[in-house]
Amino acid sequence: MSAAAPAAPRTAVKPFYFNTSAHLLRITRQKANTLAEFLDALRECPEASIFQHTFRTLEEHHFLREGFSNDFGQWVLSACNEPSLAEGLASVDVREFTSVAELRARFIQIVGDFLTRSPAAATRNARETFYFCAADSVVIPTNFVARTLHEFAEGLRGVSVHCIHHHFIEARLRLKLMSNDFSQWLHEDLGLTDAARQLNRLDIYTATLDDVREQIIRIVERALI
Amino acid sequence: MEPIESPAARQIEPGTSEGSSYAANSGLAAVSAPAAPVREERRRKPRTWETPPAPVPAPHLDDYKNIVGQAEIDELRFLAEGLKGKSLKMVNSTAVGGGVAEMLNQMVPLLNEVQLQTHWDVITGGNDFFEVTKAFHNALQGSDYKLTQQARDIFLMHNEQNLKRMQFTEDLIVIHDPQPAALIRARQDASRRWIWRCHIDLSNPNPDVWGFLRPFIEQYDAAIFSSQSFSRQLSIPQYLFYPCIDPLSEKNKDLDDNFVQQVCDEFGVDRSRPIVTQVSRFDRAKDPVGVVQAFKQARKYVDCQLLLAGGGATDDPEGAIVLKEVKEAAGNDPDIIILDLPPWCALEINALQRASTIVVQKSIREGFGLTVTEALWKGKPTIAGAVGGIPNQIIHKLTGALVHSVDGCAYQIRYLLTHPQFAKQLGENGREHVKENFLMTTNVRRWLLLCRILLGRTGE
Repeated sequence: MSAAAPAAPRTAVKPFYFNTSAHLLRITRQKANTLAEFLDALRECPEASIFQHTFRTLEEHHFLREGFSNDFGQWVLSACNEPSLAEGLASVDVREFTSVAELRARFIQIVGDFLTRSPAAATRNARETFYFCAADSVVIPTNFVARTLHEFAEGLRGVSVHCIHHHFIEARLRLKLMSNDFSQWLHEDLGLTDAARQLNRLDIYTATLDDVREQIIRIVERALI
Repeated sequence: MEPIESPAARQIEPGTSEGSSYAANSGLAAVSAPAAPVREERRRKPRTWETPPAPVPAPHLDDYKNIVGQAEIDELRFLAEGLKGKSLKMVNSTAVGGGVAEMLNQMVPLLNEVQLQTHWDVITGGNDFFEVTKAFHNALQGSDYKLTQQARDIFLMHNEQNLKRMQFTEDLIVIHDPQPAALIRARQDASRRWIWRCHIDLSNPNPDVWGFLRPFIEQYDAAIFSSQSFSRQLSIPQYLFYPCIDPLSEKNKDLDDNFVQQVCDEFGVDRSRPIVTQVSRFDRAKDPVGVVQAFKQARKYVDCQLLLAGGGATDDPEGAIVLKEVKEAAGNDPDIIILDLPPWCALEINALQRASTIVVQKSIREGFGLTVTEALWKGKPTIAGAVGGIPNQIIHKLTGALVHSVDGCAYQIRYLLTHPQFAKQLGENGREHVKENFLMTTNVRRWLLLCRILLGRTGE
């Protein structure tokens, strides 16, 4: 039997438009000097604050491979010196949430449970104030559009890490699915279900966003063969 | 040739074989501890080269491509497309000197380049006005001040005169700092957006001065602060614009290592041994004496030199006192090199930062701390006081080390000098952090974003 011929390049029904989102930091009214104030602020702050201090801050620190998950965990560790609570907060994986409301509820639960167990920690002054900020966002296009897998890989190489974050991490808040724009397109428009699944298994917390980009490109290139 | 005062001194004499080249042409003075008499003697000589160099032409957006990547530059252009036909006016109180003018000199051409028509106007005023606004500036940052009716009248009168002289026909008007804040009274309709950009720390303002200014500020559509901790509770939206550095400026651009070596040779800095550096004015807020103490503690365990490169001792009486204190603390230590540099020595500062093994900024009070940004950008492991805007830049153990005491500073110097791999990682992370958040291009992005948000052009 002769060797299999190279797969014909598939053309998607709908092209993939690489967009990106740019964010501006707005300072909100909420701030916390103690864990009790922090819990109150978590309840009261706008959803854009929860988004900023979790999804967005992960993007801002995209170059770190370890030690940073979200601003809440970082502050509790460095300013409140509560490592067990910090670990609980830092272990929250934003990709398990498809709405900011659910994410907020999770943080409230973690802090609330901790303060129930350790009430003395509630009013202890933190070394630094936590200022709740919010992200105001603008969606912008890029120069890249993909109709084939090859063009898709080219786009992945050419766009900024902000674009990768927009489609790969933030997307679930738009889609309301445990997925991302890349996987959705690969699955729905190119029928590459395996590649779509592999993308969803990438660990964004132990890699930089550039590492994640490389891993996505490798999966896409394997699908090209 | 002048005598060498101590083993560490490398006194540079213009026109001699030892003091040739750039240092002789830039008016630099190297003083080793305790070498004040030598420096004073040198100052008596006429030094025609003691003038600032000609300004460097403003860069274009594409000049940043190799630093931030083509995709980032493209995104700025796409962001600006949503502002086609819109115009912006920047208003501040001085065209030259000071960080705001420097920033506007770079930012305005870049905004125009992306087709956001941007004008820059400077208010005028007499000595009486600038005396009042200087006092306001200090009072808003916490100094004692008795606000008088006369001061209010002078402030309002000059704002009124400028208001009559200027036109506000642009779509967005940005007023920088308190001096021109009352220009908001020129606002006639709601179609234009007015923004107040506050570059100072308002965390603990004099209540009378803030009480006087606040009603003006709350007429704006938005305010911008340089750090969360500098802001006030206001009825208008407040945005966060970190100060930024220009990676193409003399202070921050890449340098040939031969030049770095030349600068070190001129100042007697031995690059074969670890160099711990603090670059800052001789100001108590920067705690240079604390740095000397930390260095002396650390050097019991690790070999290193300390380089204190600063300025302000010539034109500021308190600076001269602090410099004297630093020299006393340094004693006759040949490994402590103290440089009192004129303000236009950006290239030399750049070279010294690049030659450093570790950079320290052990401030006990600080604004944003752009010397930290500069050090991080050069990939230097940086140890800094956890004050002002520094915690925005240094995430402890990830992008640098935050310290709260002399002992803490000494420990971090020891630790980083003996753990070079960890120090290298901090430096690399710090540079990325600056690239993401504190470069000129990031601030172009912020301005474009703010304009789009305030004009309702969010693209969603």
